[in-house]
Amino acid sequence: MKEIKVENRREGNILSRVFDELNEFCRARSLFILHYCTGCGAIELPPVMTSRFDMERLGVQPMVTPRQADILLITGYVSIKTLKRVMLTYEQMGSPKYVIGICSCTVNGGMYWQSYATAKKLDEYMPVDLYIAGCMPRPEAIISGLRSLIRNIELGESNNWKKYYENYDYYLGNQQKLFGDEWQTPVDVIGEAEHYGLVGEGTYGEHTEILQRVQQPLKPLEMRL
Amino acid sequence: MNLSQFEAWLADIDHRIAGVEVTASNLNKRRNRVDLPADKLVLFLEAVKGEASFVHLSAISCVDWIDDGEFELVYHLWSYELNQLISAHIRVSRDPGEYQSIYDLYRPAGFFERDIHEMYGLYFHGAPDMEKFILTEWNGIPPMRKEFDSEEFVEQNFSWQEYNPEWLKELVAEGGGVVIPCEEQRFSRSVATDHGIDQQHSNWSGCDVSSKLCRIDSKYRGGD
Repeated sequence: MKEIKVENRREGNILSRVFDELNEFCRARSLFILHYCTGCGAIELPPVMTSRFDMERLGVQPMVTPRQADILLITGYVSIKTLKRVMLTYEQMGSPKYVIGICSCTVNGGMYWQSYATAKKLDEYMPVDLYIAGCMPRPEAIISGLRSLIRNIELGESNNWKKYYENYDYYLGNQQKLFGDEWQTPVDVIGEAEHYGLVGEGTYGEHTEILQRVQQPLKPLEMRL
Repeated sequence: MNLSQFEAWLADIDHRIAGVEVTASNLNKRRNRVDLPADKLVLFLEAVKGEASFVHLSAISCVDWIDDGEFELVYHLWSYELNQLISAHIRVSRDPGEYQSIYDLYRPAGFFERDIHEMYGLYFHGAPDMEKFILTEWNGIPPMRKEFDSEEFVEQNFSWQEYNPEWLKELVAEGGGVVIPCEEQRFSRSVATDHGIDQQHSNWSGCDVSSKLCRIDSKYRGGD
């Protein structure tokens, strides 16, 4: 049994510390997985969701929109084209958000390690909280992965989402390497980092300079039938 | 036209179109292989569509014969009346790599030709659209051409991470998994050297135990 660390928590007001712990306790018991799947590992999710393994008993449920989801499951290989969509989805999700890489493909490309069309390390493009290896992992493995994520959240150790703001230049650089220098998303990550006080040493850099140079202001989508 | 009439018709076709060579398959009575010169293909397709009811073009496949300097195009045609398959094989030169579209005869050919153009760089004159199709993010040489070295591309553009879990070490210690030595990890053919592609990248810079184990993992897991 791992003891709950208290020394790293906010010091000073004891009420705020209690409130943080309560917050994490509640957060770990109400997780929504984004209903979005890539690759073949998605086939293991229906048994996880439904009565056989029933992830709802852990408080985990599927959710249809990224803005209301907590967990982004990457269930297999991510082609370069898919990765663009995954990045758009990830940036839309509200913090705190958690990324789980399922299958060997998200670790090192898996059986597609020599393919020109798939991204190899998911970790280069977004911070990953947890990998569940296997090709594909069984529902038991996914349940056990979700349980360890819940435990980490409860202990306040799963704060990888902050890394995306703190090292935005690194992640953006890897994205630009694949998508070209014109790459931009509708989400203003630097603005968010400044607003939430998450600016780190790696937030600004050469790649964010490129972004700020080429960034086009967003226009409303044209509606037509 | 019934089946016996069709067989006689197909046997006679080389008298009408010069250079057509018909080979019936020994394995499957429904398959007919036809080899013909590239400039006779449209003539042949018009004949099989108009006279012998081959209205369905299921696919166009392309093979890159880099040693011969040629692309082989295979047009797969199906007849719903005769339940027969004709695969018409032609060869076109790799350089400059262009051929004529059959979009006017078979509408689905538009997609197949666009796909072949994207994957092999073979241009079809008269096709409705030769723009990017699936690989919208791709700016390199067409990836299915034999001179494209996928492994070298991966080595230059992507990196690896340590992944060496306990269960995998146990498997390898027991002699399990498929161990691929570094020098055998390239799938590219030895012919690549004849075409001037540098072989100095053939040894993986990151070929330490862990990256090797990752590949063993994928091989091993892919097999079951």
